[in-house]
Amino acid sequence: MARAARASAIRFEDRTLAGTLGELPWGLVLMLITVACIGTAALYSSTFTNPEEAGLPARHAVRFAISLGIMFVIALVPIGIWLRAAWPAYFVTLAMLVGVELFGLTRGGATRWLQLGPIGVQPSEFMKLALTLALARYYHNNLTFQSGRFFIHLPALFIIIVPAALIFKQPDFGTTLALIASGAVLIFLAGLYYRIIAAVFLAGIASAWPIYMFVLQDYQRERVNTFLAQLTGQAVNTLDDGYQIEQAKIAIGSGGWQGRGFMEGTQAQLDYIPEQHTDFILTVIAEEFGFLGATGLLALWAAILGWGLVIAGRSASLFGRFAAVGCVATVAFFILFNVAMVLGLVPVVGVPLPLVSYGGTVMFTTMACFGILLSVHIGRDERLSTQGMI
Amino acid sequence: MSSELDFESRLNRRTIITGAAGGVLFSGLVARLVQLQLFEGERYKEIANENGVKLDLAPPIRGAIYDRFGVPLASHRQAGRVSIVREQTPDMDATLAGIARHIDLPMDERQRVIQQARSQASFQSTIVKSELTYEEFARMTLLAADMPGVRADMAATRSYPRGRDFAHVLGYVAKASSDDLSRLTENASPEEASLLARLFRHPDMRTGRSGIERAAEGWLRGEPGFRRLETNAAGRVIRELESDDLAPTPGRDIGLTVDAELQRAAIDRFGDESGAAVVLDIETGAILAFVSTPAFDPNDFVNGISYADYNALRENDRSPLYHKAYDGTYPPGSTFKMVVATAALEAGINPDQRVYCNGYYRFGNRTWHCWKRGGHGNVDMHWAMKGSCDVYFYDIARKIGVEHLADVSRRFGFGQVWDLGLTGGRGGTVPDDAWKRAALGEPWYEGETLNYGIGQGYLSASPLQLALMSARIAAKGRLIEPYIIGEGPRPDKPIPYAEPLDPDHMQRMMDGMYGVTSEAGGTAWRSGDLGLGGPRLAGKTGTAQVRRISEAERRSGVLKGDEIDRRLRDHALFVAYAPADDPKYAISVVVEHGEGGSSTAAPVARDILATAIRRDSRAAARWQQTASASGSGNGGGNP
Repeated sequence: MARAARASAIRFEDRTLAGTLGELPWGLVLMLITVACIGTAALYSSTFTNPEEAGLPARHAVRFAISLGIMFVIALVPIGIWLRAAWPAYFVTLAMLVGVELFGLTRGGATRWLQLGPIGVQPSEFMKLALTLALARYYHNNLTFQSGRFFIHLPALFIIIVPAALIFKQPDFGTTLALIASGAVLIFLAGLYYRIIAAVFLAGIASAWPIYMFVLQDYQRERVNTFLAQLTGQAVNTLDDGYQIEQAKIAIGSGGWQGRGFMEGTQAQLDYIPEQHTDFILTVIAEEFGFLGATGLLALWAAILGWGLVIAGRSASLFGRFAAVGCVATVAFFILFNVAMVLGLVPVVGVPLPLVSYGGTVMFTTMACFGILLSVHIGRDERLSTQGMI
Repeated sequence: MSSELDFESRLNRRTIITGAAGGVLFSGLVARLVQLQLFEGERYKEIANENGVKLDLAPPIRGAIYDRFGVPLASHRQAGRVSIVREQTPDMDATLAGIARHIDLPMDERQRVIQQARSQASFQSTIVKSELTYEEFARMTLLAADMPGVRADMAATRSYPRGRDFAHVLGYVAKASSDDLSRLTENASPEEASLLARLFRHPDMRTGRSGIERAAEGWLRGEPGFRRLETNAAGRVIRELESDDLAPTPGRDIGLTVDAELQRAAIDRFGDESGAAVVLDIETGAILAFVSTPAFDPNDFVNGISYADYNALRENDRSPLYHKAYDGTYPPGSTFKMVVATAALEAGINPDQRVYCNGYYRFGNRTWHCWKRGGHGNVDMHWAMKGSCDVYFYDIARKIGVEHLADVSRRFGFGQVWDLGLTGGRGGTVPDDAWKRAALGEPWYEGETLNYGIGQGYLSASPLQLALMSARIAAKGRLIEPYIIGEGPRPDKPIPYAEPLDPDHMQRMMDGMYGVTSEAGGTAWRSGDLGLGGPRLAGKTGTAQVRRISEAERRSGVLKGDEIDRRLRDHALFVAYAPADDPKYAISVVVEHGEGGSSTAAPVARDILATAIRRDSRAAARWQQTASASGSGNGGGNP
C-alpha cells in the first residue's frame, strides 16, 4: 500500500524509466520466464530424436526473448495512449479482416493471411488484443453506476460478433471461440443480469440437440460421437479420429505421479502423438514429469492469471480494469481450452498452450496481452477521462 | 454516492467471480489429471510399454527333404545379398553406380531398385542383389562400411543341391503371388489368413509352387516366430527387444524313398534322350528312382526366373517342365502283353494252345499286321511273349473281350491316379465300352479290341504304372502300391480294393519276360545280362506308336527312323525286373522317340537296374554268394 501511495504521488511525466521498471511486478515476469523455460525443455525432449527438428527449442527460446522485449515496450507505453489507440486499432484490424475476406491468402485450406508489402500478417491474431481494448474502451465510456440496463450491452455484443463472424468464415474456429469467450467475460464483468446469462445458457443447452440432429453434417456428427465415446471411456477406432486423443491419454496416464523422467517418455520419444511439439506439448510434460509436473505448470499459470486479476482489481480506471480482465481472459481461454482438449474433455480444435507450444503467433499475442496488463499495472492510478480522441 | 459504491463493489464482485470461475475450471482440469494419471496411470503405463512394441514375423526355416540315405535334396543355404536403405543414402543413383563398379549390376536392375525403394517407406531396405557369389559378397562386405545405407548380409535361401535331378519330384518354391496366397488361405480363418498374408510378404518367405514343395507345403513350412521390435509411430525400428519364447518353429523334414545316386546314374544314362524311368522296390513299392529328363533346375525359380529363361523352358520340344514319369501317359505297346496274357489265363485259355502267325491277322474286312513281316509261325503263349507276336495277341484279345481286358488292366494298376503326395499325376486311360460311350459317344467296336491286345489304341499309361505292372508281376501277384514319401505326410487316400492276381499266372509272365531277355528268339536277348557276373534281368520291350503307319508306307517298306522327323518317331518302352531269380527291383523306361524298345530302352533299363543292384549291399552280398556257390556266371533260376 505504501508503494502504491508513493507511486500515486508522482505524476506520470515525472517518472524515470528506472523507477517505472522498478515498479513492475517482477514476480509475474519471473513466472512467465519459468513457463517459457518449461516449454523449451519439453520441446527439447520431444524433438531431439529428429534431426530435422533440432533447432526448434532454440528458436522457441529466441522468440520468447523477443516477445519479452515487446512486452516491456507495450508495458512502458502509458495507459492513456492505449485508451486513445483502442478504437483506431479495432477498426483498422476489422478493415484488415475484411481485406482478408476479399484478397486474403489461402494456406492449408484457410484464408487467414493478408500480404502487406513484404510480410504476411494474420489480422485475426491482432483482433484478440484489439477487441479487448475496444470493449474496454466502450465500457470505459458507457458504463456508469446506474447502467444495469440490458441495452448497454448490445453494442458490446455487436463489437464482438462482427470480427468473430469474419474470423469464423476464414475458417478459424479456435480464434473465434477465443474472441467470443474473452468478450463474454467482459460483458459478464460489465454486469449483465444473471437472469439473462441463465437464459443464454438454457437456450444453448436446448439448442444442442436440434443442432446435432439437423444442422451438423454426417462427418461432423461422427466426430461428436467419437468425442463423446472416448469421453465416457468407450473403445474408439484408434486408427481414425480417436487416434491422436487416445495416444495423448496413454502418454498422460502413463506419467503417473512423478512421470517417466525427462526424455524417458516412450510416447513422446517414439513420436506416437501427432502435433506433440505444438498443440499437444502438454502430453510430453505430463508423461515425463507426471502429475506433479502437469499440475505444477497449471498452478504456475493459475498464479499468473490470478495476479493479472489482482492487477485488474487495483486499476482506478474502468478501461484499465476491463483491458486487464480481457487480456487475462484471452490467455486463460487458450490454456483452459488447450489442456481440456489434450485431456480429451473437449473436441480437438487447434488451440496452442501459450508460451509452451512451439509457434510464434500465439507467443506474440500472449506476451502482448501481458504487456497491456503491465501497462495497466503501471497506470493503475490514472483516472483517465471518458472523453477520448474518438 | 452509495450507488457508485454499489457499482464499485459489483465490479469487484464480478472480477472475483470471474477469477473463481477460472479457478473452478482449472480444478476440473486437475481432477481429470488425477483420474488419468493417478487412478488409471498403471493401466496406461502398460499400454504405453506395449505401444511401441511391434511383433515382426520371423520366417521359419523350411523343412528339408532327404533321399533314403539322408542325402539332402532340398535344404537351405546362406546366400549373401546387398540391400540399400533409401533415407540413409545421400544419392541413390551414385551409390548404385558405385556398387555396379564392383559387382555385376546392369542398368535396368538399378532402375528397378530405385523404383522399388521409392515405392516403400524411406527407412525400409530394398534388396539390390541376392545370390551374391562368395567373391562378390566378400567385396561388398568390405565396401558397405564406406557406403552409407548399403548393407551386405546373409539370408537363408531354399536350395536344391542335386539341381535338376529331382526337379519334378520336389518341384520348387517361389515368392507367393496373390494367386498362391488365395490358394493357401482358402480354408483358413480370417486371423490365420491375415497372419499368412503378413508372413508371405516377408522377403525371405517362399511357398511351394509344384511337386512335394507344394503338396506338402503345410508340413514343410513350419510356424513363424516373432521378433519384438520397438518401433516409433511411423514404423521405424528403434531396436530389437530380447525374447526367447517367440522363435520360429522350423518346418518338418521329409524323407523320400528315392536314391539320389541311382537317380543321377539313371539321368546320366539317358544322355541327350528325353524320356522317363521309374525304379520300384518290389518288396515295398518304394520308388527308388523317378526320372523325367530333360529337367529344369529348381534353383533358378527360387528368386524368380526371368521371362526369357522360362519361355525357353516352355518352348523346348523335349518338355523339361513336364513330369513325364508321372504326368506323361503313353500307349504301353507290347509291354502290355503280360496283361493280355494274364487275362487270357484267367479266361481259361490254354497257354500251350498255338496260334499260327504268318505276319498278319484278318478280321472283318481289315488286316492287322504283326511287327515281324514274315510272321512267327506257330507260337504258344511263351513264344508269343518273348517274340512279341502281335498276331497271337490279336487272337486272344478278341477271345477275351474288352471288358475282361479292362478289368485285368485295372488290377495291374492302370487307369487310376497313384497319389504319391506330389502335385500332378495322371492315371492314363483303360478303355472299355462305357468309357468310349462317355468319352466319344460311340460304342466299342470289336476291331478295337485287337489293338487293345497289343497295347495300342485308346489305352495309355504312365511310366509309373508300367513299373508298377512289372513289380506286381515280379511280386507274384501281390498288389503292391507305389510310394515315394518314406517319412513325412504320406497321402492317406484309400486305394480301391482289387482282386489279387494269381501267383501261378504271374510265374508264367515272369517266365515269358525271362524269355524275352535270355532265350533265343527273345526280342531283347542281348540286354539280359546285367554285366555284374551273375544276376540277369527279365523284361519286355514295347513300342508306342506316335503316328499311324499308312498302307502306302508299309508297302514301300516302313521309313527308317532317320528319315522321319524326330517328333514323329515311335517311343521306345521297356519294363523289367531284376535279379530274374529273386526279383528286387522293377523298372519301366520310356525313351521318347527312341523307336525300338529293344535297341534304345532295354539297354537303359539294364544299366539302371545294374546300378540299383550294385548299390544294394544286401543284394550284392547275396548274389556274390550264389555266384560262388554255383561256380558259374549264370545265376538265372528261370528255365
